[in-house]
Amino acid sequence: MHAALRSAQVDWRDPDALESLHAQLGAGEFAFVGLFVTPEADFAAVVAAAQDKFTDTCVCACTTAGELGSAGYEDGQIVAVGLPAAHFATASYVIDDLHALEPQAQIDRLIQTRMALSRAWPRMSQEFAFVMIDGLSLAEEHLTSVLSTGLGPVPLFGGSAGDGTRFSKAWLACDGVVSRNSAVITLVRTTCPVRVFSLDHLMPTDRRMVVTGADPARRIVHEINAEPAAQEYARLLGKDPQQLDPFTFAAHPVVVRLGESHHVRAIQRVDEDGNLVFFSAINEGMVLTLADHQDMAEHLERGLAELAVDGAPDQILGCDCILRRIEAGQTQKSREISRILSENRVVGFGTYGEQIGGLHVNQTFTGVAIYPPATES
Amino acid sequence: MSLTNPEDSLERQNEKLRKISESLMRRVEYGAAHSSAAYAQFERAALLEKQVRERTTQLEKTLDLLHDSNARLAQANLETEAARSNLANAIETVHEGFALFDPDDIMVMCNSRFCRDFLDMLDMLHPGLPFAEYVDRISRSPHLALPEGESSARWAARRIRRHQDRHVMFNAQLTGDRWLQVSEHRTTNGGTVILQTDVTDILRLERQARDRLKDKQAQMIHATLDHLNQGVCIFDEEAQLVGWNFKIGALLSLPARRLHLGASFPVLLGHIDGELAFSKGIDRDGFRDWALSKAHRPPISFEVTHSEGMVLHIFGREMPDRGFVISCTDITAEREAAHRLTEMNEDLEQRVMERTLELEDALNAAERANASKSRFVAAASHDLLQPLSAAKLFISSLADKSAGDSDRAILEKAESALSGAEKIIDALLDISKLESGQISFDVRPMALSEIFRPLRDEMGILAARKGLDLRIVDSSLVVESDPSYLRRILQNLLGNAVRYTSTGRIVMGVRRREGGARIEVWDTGAGIAKHDQDSIFEEFRRLDTTASTNEGLGLGLAIVERACVKLGHPLGLWSEPGRGSCFMVTVPVASLPHHVTSTARPTPRPLRLAQSGLIVLLVENDPALRRAITILIESWGVSVIEATDAASALDLLDDLEITPDALLLDYQLGRGMNGVELYDAITARFGPLPGSIISANRTEPLDQFCTARGLEFLPKPLDRHRLSAVLDAAATSRAQTTEA
Repeated sequence: MHAALRSAQVDWRDPDALESLHAQLGAGEFAFVGLFVTPEADFAAVVAAAQDKFTDTCVCACTTAGELGSAGYEDGQIVAVGLPAAHFATASYVIDDLHALEPQAQIDRLIQTRMALSRAWPRMSQEFAFVMIDGLSLAEEHLTSVLSTGLGPVPLFGGSAGDGTRFSKAWLACDGVVSRNSAVITLVRTTCPVRVFSLDHLMPTDRRMVVTGADPARRIVHEINAEPAAQEYARLLGKDPQQLDPFTFAAHPVVVRLGESHHVRAIQRVDEDGNLVFFSAINEGMVLTLADHQDMAEHLERGLAELAVDGAPDQILGCDCILRRIEAGQTQKSREISRILSENRVVGFGTYGEQIGGLHVNQTFTGVAIYPPATES
Repeated sequence: MSLTNPEDSLERQNEKLRKISESLMRRVEYGAAHSSAAYAQFERAALLEKQVRERTTQLEKTLDLLHDSNARLAQANLETEAARSNLANAIETVHEGFALFDPDDIMVMCNSRFCRDFLDMLDMLHPGLPFAEYVDRISRSPHLALPEGESSARWAARRIRRHQDRHVMFNAQLTGDRWLQVSEHRTTNGGTVILQTDVTDILRLERQARDRLKDKQAQMIHATLDHLNQGVCIFDEEAQLVGWNFKIGALLSLPARRLHLGASFPVLLGHIDGELAFSKGIDRDGFRDWALSKAHRPPISFEVTHSEGMVLHIFGREMPDRGFVISCTDITAEREAAHRLTEMNEDLEQRVMERTLELEDALNAAERANASKSRFVAAASHDLLQPLSAAKLFISSLADKSAGDSDRAILEKAESALSGAEKIIDALLDISKLESGQISFDVRPMALSEIFRPLRDEMGILAARKGLDLRIVDSSLVVESDPSYLRRILQNLLGNAVRYTSTGRIVMGVRRREGGARIEVWDTGAGIAKHDQDSIFEEFRRLDTTASTNEGLGLGLAIVERACVKLGHPLGLWSEPGRGSCFMVTVPVASLPHHVTSTARPTPRPLRLAQSGLIVLLVENDPALRRAITILIESWGVSVIEATDAASALDLLDDLEITPDALLLDYQLGRGMNGVELYDAITARFGPLPGSIISANRTEPLDQFCTARGLEFLPKPLDRHRLSAVLDAAATSRAQTTEA
């Protein structure tokens, strides 16, 4: 029996990469093909080749900060997922120029698209929305907020397209059109039961700090506790400010507490002025709390096991924060995590941030579990 | 880890804290207003995430429900429309006019047949038409034929009133002799369904059928009336003639022109007035009053006699419509027949009376004759027995004294002859008793051997004398019968057998039959021919005419037959001429074992009497017999005191002053006391004494009397053996008392 979701992957250096992917995905009509392309590859070329191969299928693609493939954490790969038309119906479109977003127009468009899909495929009762967004656009919060208004009860998840660890340029594509500073929305209806989830293995501690100076528009924090941000962060960790690097940020995330919940505000890097650049929105006067880790592998295994309580999913399409991969590497858990991801048939890509519902969050593993289709009589 | 670096100077720390608190305060005071849009959105999204999602879910659900409801509403609307359309189609197929009014009496729908005949109403028959308006328009329609004398308004008012009733059904007439049957039915919600059915054809057919039926009935009635053998006329409540038949005219001699429709009763009565004679409690006026009565008339029945002698029976009866019917029947013939019957009956009764009287006379005569015959036979037998007894006793005495053999032989023959005569007289007495029905039997359990043994002794001698072989097979059976009569029966049968058998043998034996013992007497005699077998049982009938009269007068079988009948013992006969005969008597076997008392056999000779010195009182009013008895008793050595009657006997006992040892008393002692009374008188004086009562007629009271007193009854003619036994017993008892 074919799995509801088909996946394939090739090394980016493979000259017949798309040919191979097309062959691996197998015959049959696809409603949607998603490509998660390593930033090593020539994104535009890959997209163009894909357009040639998948002529009647909507192909959407984005660049990654690492891939989730058959071996778990992988690099330098082009990973493809195909949603067979037998079980899935989709509608994808691009939102360009995220900074000039008109909320109401987007909400209207989303609702119309959604209703059209619903009318066309009433018998596919399950639905979810998948978003790929430029991870360097700084617009994730705004977009998810708009989208969640128009999606209503439809669960949304997605990931911020990355550029490896370079933090330079991320690319997206839909129907052969390549863009930046944009997002690709895909609405999915399916006969397969689905469940959108987000796993976060961090626990807030009692070590808090106050942002006393920031540039929220650029997600830059100048001062913490009335000291230069990086210096104070380092002091609180008991580290040398000069040694702050992505590994430190992955190991020592900060979270913001809102009521009962907390949300990770992942630090991207230290800029040349000793400021801290974040992956998500920050503000002056906000209180950041240092968070501790649970055992990531154990937490992941437990989380995925919960998804399989009522029967294991066929496959999981996931977005995994780059900081998790870094942390795994730091804590010698990469192989174990890879094993768990592989065993649970996870495909997807490494991100600069994840979207779940109306939220843009960091340092999570967020995705959708796709279960075997309800047996049709 | 504190917010400030403890390595800093206090001033520095203080400054930093102030800045921190300022940032915090600013944030608290301005909240999201001064924050960047992105963070605000994040924060808002985070805070509202849950609520929004829940709300949205609810909204979606509500929307779904709304869609669902809309869909169902649409479905329901479709169904309603379909139902309405079905209903409309359905009522259109109904052959009646159909209209439905809602509970507010507003028309909901109607089919095209509704009010079809009211062409002027077609434009207004639409949903929404009020019932009142519908009625109003109908009532004013030129197509409605209003009942005579009724206005449109009144018709409408009546129609509206009818509408209040739960069930409505009426016929409305339309112009052109057309009829509509209109019915209303209430629906469950209080609405009204009106059905209009065209019943014109039905009504017309019905009317025709009724008319035809009426004609036919009238014809039938007329034919029936004419067929009747009675005169019938029918009057209406005004006592005017409405119907009659031909017969009435004939019976009452009424001319046909008088009988016409409407002829009044008094006038008709007047025409026949003078010719009728009324009888049986009513006269002409009474009849007229009955006919003209305004009250209820009870049925009336009487007879009139016509002047021509004809008798008529008149019957009048009121009819339910107060008219009446009079029927008239000629009963002249019946009356005459009844009269003749009465006469004949009287004649017959007279003749029966006469004949009855004649028969009564004849019966009286016959009874008198029979009684005198019986009396004669009894008296004759009695009178004959007295001298015979005396003669026998004399001969016995003579034989005892005489010594010469030749004399003795002669004396024996004489005694034998006398015995023969005695037997004949006995037999005659028996028959007379059996026939007179004055006999009483002593039926009791008895052993057959009780009578078989004496018979063997008795008859053995007779048979031996004729050289016949007599065999009597003894039996131990106990039967129910009268011992003396059974003995007599068998004695006679055996005697007959001996008498009519010349050679061979005679056998008597018993066979058990169911419920009885059949005693059979076989002989080898001449036999009896078939045609003679009935007559042998008649008196004085002897088949063998050559037999000596000395051997009997042929009374034996007559006695046997009568005795058997009286005892209820079936008597049978088998016989074949030349071979012999068999007489069979069947007696019932006694159900209980019987203690058989064997009869004491008298000693043939009273040898001891001579030594006993016995004194016997003999009272006998017949001198000859008294003398004979005295001689006989004295010859046994017994002293005799003689007396003629009771008075002299008692006197004599007084004079002699002795108590006799035994008493021999004749029952019939002429005037004065009889033997029994005398016995009582003597025993009253001397105490109980043994003895005997002697009498020629053995009667039951006498028998009982003797038994009660322990006396021996000695029938006349006297048997010397029994007499000697009596005296012997007295001597024995006397000896015993003396010894004691």
